[in-house]
Amino acid sequence: MITVREVTKRFKDIKAVDCVSFNVKKGEAVALLGANGAGKSTLIKCILGLLSFEGEITLNGLNVEKNSKEAKSLIGYVPQEPVFYDMRALDILEFFGAIRGVDMGRIEEIVNLVGLREHILKQSSALSGGMKQRLSFAIALISNPPILVLDEPTSNLDAHARAEFLKLIRELKLQGKTVLFSSHRLDEVEFLADRVVVMKSGKVVMESKPNVLAETLGLKVRMYIKVPVPWIETATDILKREGFDAVTLNENTLLLEVTSREKTIPLKKLLFAEIPVEDLGIEEPSMERIMQEVQGDGI
Amino acid sequence: MEFKNVLLIMQKEVREALKNRWFIIYTVCFSILALLLLFFSYSREEILGVSGFGRTAASLINLVLLFVPLVSLVTGAISISNERENGTLFYLLSHPVERSEVFTGKFLGLLVSIWVSICLGFGLSGIVVGIKGGSLGASKYLLTTLLSLLLAASLLSIGFIVSVLSKKAAKSIGISVFLWLFFLVFSDLGIMGTTIVMDLGIKSVFVLALLNPTEVFKIAAVLNMSPRFEVLGPVGVYALRSFGRDGTFYLLFSAMILWTVIPIVIGFLAFTLLKKE
Repeated sequence: MITVREVTKRFKDIKAVDCVSFNVKKGEAVALLGANGAGKSTLIKCILGLLSFEGEITLNGLNVEKNSKEAKSLIGYVPQEPVFYDMRALDILEFFGAIRGVDMGRIEEIVNLVGLREHILKQSSALSGGMKQRLSFAIALISNPPILVLDEPTSNLDAHARAEFLKLIRELKLQGKTVLFSSHRLDEVEFLADRVVVMKSGKVVMESKPNVLAETLGLKVRMYIKVPVPWIETATDILKREGFDAVTLNENTLLLEVTSREKTIPLKKLLFAEIPVEDLGIEEPSMERIMQEVQGDGI
Repeated sequence: MEFKNVLLIMQKEVREALKNRWFIIYTVCFSILALLLLFFSYSREEILGVSGFGRTAASLINLVLLFVPLVSLVTGAISISNERENGTLFYLLSHPVERSEVFTGKFLGLLVSIWVSICLGFGLSGIVVGIKGGSLGASKYLLTTLLSLLLAASLLSIGFIVSVLSKKAAKSIGISVFLWLFFLVFSDLGIMGTTIVMDLGIKSVFVLALLNPTEVFKIAAVLNMSPRFEVLGPVGVYALRSFGRDGTFYLLFSAMILWTVIPIVIGFLAFTLLKKE
């Protein structure tokens, strides 16, 4: 559905996007994950045909530069910070609806879908951030396009609005829409994406499924193992002997870091040595740790 | 280019302009000043329109020269740069519209808005003169209106080039105000200075005058108003002898059309070829 092939975008001597290639299949949701300045928004602008670039981007076989208009008609786009003409929300919807050739019936339908009915007669400048986002989402969906391109779509939303918004996008994805979205929130990525494309300094540095992203990045889970006080030293020695970097946290708790696949091994070793395990806590790599890894020099 | 999209964007521009506070202030000021000039232009003896439309049009020329270039240049200059700066242009272009449609729609929309404003000023004065019984020079009055509309179109076109090439609205406003001063003040001084220093002939001075759209308007408007060409000085006499009265007028009229067409084509090409969003 979306094919990005060796795309490079230069601003003078700086490569904002550096030879990026990936595909998004029909009905798939792909997240562009990366820090600010990683090149996500620039790449989205290239996909929308708003910037000239080297390489090729096609949407459903249509080249976004050569068949810009036809390609753009396949996309519903939600920007990071929606900006509208100073008109009523209804007038804005009618304007973009007319550009996309839809009738009033569809406008009413979409207004109800995104929950904009009560605010439809307000000037766009009087809408809250959340309502503006709903309006931009309504515009994106107005012609029922097969592809949704979302540039950090929840950055201006509160927790409740964000949850609703993500739910709606997931429903649309389940209905068969192809979704490409940029984000730097791992929870959103895990909730929506089938695949994650990690970008750093304009390059794609990794592609992964969201649930194994931490592992792919080489991040370890933390295990907190509680044993009876008399056994703490023995347990530490056994685990160290087995190659685990176990640390005694207090009189009865051990801390060790293992890969996701190794989680059961320390337990097996302790049980084999007949050391009773009283409690177990597992801490998956936090979003902060993953983002630090993505942003830092780790990859 | 799809006409439907051009029309939609054009309608949006007109609607926005007619709601724009500054545009309303400009239209009201222009109309009031046009009416005031009308009353001042009549002496007590001529109050019933002895010179009618002709005198009114002559008074309006100075008003047009002051107001129309400034408003047209600034309106054109912020048309695209302002939208580029606040992100609405980027958002509009993310929809299935071509850059050529956006440019054409915006230009036509703003042109219609400025023309409505000018026609309102000229129209109100025309109605008052008509009611008072002045009918002499109606055609001259209409021609002055037409020249004013052309002047607006040419300066709006120049403003659009500034807008396409500027990323910031503030910068484009600054450039447009400088251009306004240049066309109205520095250009005259420049022609005079160059003529003296380089000892230019009358023909060269006439050609130099054609390089300034406000100058072209001024000459064409005065030529339209006065049966005596000598009011334009030696250059006027030269033009009269070289091209005749009608020939000179057609030349000036063509120059004004070129001053509209050439800048708008440059602006159009720059906007459609340079993707600055």
